[in-house]
Amino acid sequence: MTRPERTTAQRALLAWPLSFLALAAAAAALFAVRPSVDKAHVALVFLLVVLGGSAAGGRLLGITLSITAFAVFDFVFLPPYYTFAIRDPLDWLVLAAFLITGIVAAQLLARADERAEIARRRADEVQRIAMLGAEALSVGRAEAALAAVARVIQSTLAVACCEVLIQRAKDGAYERAAAAGACVGAAAVDAASLAAWVARAGAAATERADRTTHLEPRADGAEPALASAQAPAWLVDDDVRALLVPLRVRDRIVGVLRVSHEAPIRLDPAQRQFLEALAYYAALGVERVRLSAEAERAESFRQAGQLKDALIAGVSHDLRTPLTTIKALAHGLAVRGEADARSIEEEADRLNRMVADLLDLSRLNAGAMPLDIGFNVADEIVGVALQRIRGLRGDRTIEIDAPRGVPLAARCDQVQAVRVLVNLLENALKYSPPETPITLSVRQRGDRIEFTVADRGPGIPSEERERVFTPFYRPLNARPDVGGAGLGLAIARGMADVQNGRVWMEPRDGGGSVFRFDLPLAELPKLDAPA
Amino acid sequence: MPAATSPALPTLLVVDDEPKIRAAVREAVGRDVGRCLEAGTGQAALELARRERPDVIVLDLGLPDMDGVDVCSAIREFTHAPIVVLSARHSESEKARLLDAGADDYVTKPFGTVELRARVRAHVRRSRLPSAAQGPLQLGPFQIDVERRTASRGGEAVHLTPTEWSLLQALVNNAGRTMTHHQLFRAVWGVSHGDAQQYLRVYIGHLRRKLEADPYTPRHFITEPGIGYRFELAAGDHDAA
Repeated sequence: MTRPERTTAQRALLAWPLSFLALAAAAAALFAVRPSVDKAHVALVFLLVVLGGSAAGGRLLGITLSITAFAVFDFVFLPPYYTFAIRDPLDWLVLAAFLITGIVAAQLLARADERAEIARRRADEVQRIAMLGAEALSVGRAEAALAAVARVIQSTLAVACCEVLIQRAKDGAYERAAAAGACVGAAAVDAASLAAWVARAGAAATERADRTTHLEPRADGAEPALASAQAPAWLVDDDVRALLVPLRVRDRIVGVLRVSHEAPIRLDPAQRQFLEALAYYAALGVERVRLSAEAERAESFRQAGQLKDALIAGVSHDLRTPLTTIKALAHGLAVRGEADARSIEEEADRLNRMVADLLDLSRLNAGAMPLDIGFNVADEIVGVALQRIRGLRGDRTIEIDAPRGVPLAARCDQVQAVRVLVNLLENALKYSPPETPITLSVRQRGDRIEFTVADRGPGIPSEERERVFTPFYRPLNARPDVGGAGLGLAIARGMADVQNGRVWMEPRDGGGSVFRFDLPLAELPKLDAPA
Repeated sequence: MPAATSPALPTLLVVDDEPKIRAAVREAVGRDVGRCLEAGTGQAALELARRERPDVIVLDLGLPDMDGVDVCSAIREFTHAPIVVLSARHSESEKARLLDAGADDYVTKPFGTVELRARVRAHVRRSRLPSAAQGPLQLGPFQIDVERRTASRGGEAVHLTPTEWSLLQALVNNAGRTMTHHQLFRAVWGVSHGDAQQYLRVYIGHLRRKLEADPYTPRHFITEPGIGYRFELAAGDHDAA
């Protein structure tokens, strides 16, 4: 690991010569007063040096010091002097007790030291995670939070690169969303496809130096969805170059974390746990990026919708105000006996209808058509439509074929449904001979209500049947004075679409056309009293 | 109410920021009114209306300083004079909002001179009628007495349910005036519950089936799509020149 470890190692290295120097000094001092000291005093002083060395230099120094001190004790301070032989058998006991005490003390000290080191490291990690949590919450942009997580992982694990890969919305391919460290270039294609693989499998994977990849068994013990389960590579293998961890939020995989290094990556279990913990933060970061992108998109759609609506309303106001003046002036002229004034008024009306149609078409195209979907009775839609076409209809026959008795109801927008039916009726009136009748029928078909408008006009050749619904379409043989701009059927179809309805046409048996318009059926409500 | 006693010509207030439109309105309605006041902004309109108490107001929605709906509700705070709104926006939700705010009628731009004149006259006439009890009504072949809740056709009784009577009463009391879904629902059921629109649609259907000669060409219970309903005593009254 990083910096604190290196200072410990330096301290330990320095402890070796110092400990042996201390041992030599103690031995020399004791030697000077050998005749007057007891064996026990020597043992206690040496033990002190051994404990000091253990504490400063770790287990190995402690044991080495114990054995050296043991040898010096035996050689210099136990008679016969300057041999390793022992005269008094009780001295064996003293020596053995000294050696065992030294070694055990060294062991205990070293273990306590290790525990302290682990505790320190944990505290460090907890602090990093806490900092990360605070950072992830406080940064303004979600992408910055993700980059912060990557940076912490990269520096803590001391790897060359840490990157977060997420799925692109448009094609589902994985791409880099954030990276920290020396990640060369853009994420390689194989890293992206590997990330997709890891995400599908829901298990971590390793990349080896030989460019092979291996899935790890899943933490919950379940078999990974793909490939074979093996022992965790990060523990056993020396040639792991990259590690891929799926990022999960509430059992959903939202991305993949990839750490890579030019040298082998070896993680101890604690580091591995740290990685798992931080992967969760990365997952939350990814989720936040996604949510904020969605919120931004929704907001921009809403703003665009409002803008379109305001624009269309403004245009309609600007176009209609002069038409009002023209009509009023023309009327004034007509009252004063001007012969042509009447047709000015009529043309102004025609222009106004065209403006209305164009505005409706642009509203439909812009997705800005105001809708009020609710319960509506078919009879009423028919009634209003018939009233609206009164002028154009004149004395032409319209046969109505609808079930009497229980009314049929549809879920739709009344205004738009009426417009669809009016446009279909107007189309039939315009393009069929005046002496022929038009039939308007209403039927229930499964869970839909179908309105049909059937005429005895010239009919429409099969290759033209869809084209009639395109804006500005006019049949080739149409009289030039007939109809408006050719928007009626296009608007009818658009208005049907926005309220889950459909408009289409078929040839009619015996000549002519049948235009059909259907809407979702609605249940009649239970009423509070018998009718 | 001086209007009820004197046959004096009514005072009109025209509110529009376009002088040409004000001229067009004057041209259309001028012969029926005694005095014509004009205002180009909402603020000026409110001041004039408060001071001069016009008998009828023609109000354009696209005013530079105030929202038309706000002007409507502000005027309604001190007078019941009919308000006919002019609007270049043909949105039904906007019209419904206006009627809820107290407007009596709306005419969409570009308006026909004849139509505007007819509407203004009808509303002046209606506002001058005593709002007292209605006698029995004759709807085509139907004889209806809303007070006594009896209806008959050629001496044969036609049965209406209590809800149908309440709805009929609300419509008849406001004959010639479009009532929004909201206003009707409040009048009949008091509070809003569930899908208000669907009950209204069904009960209007019942009234038509019982009191209209042909439910497909209703003459008295007129649908204003997306806005509400209007009761017309005489067939085609609203469209007559």
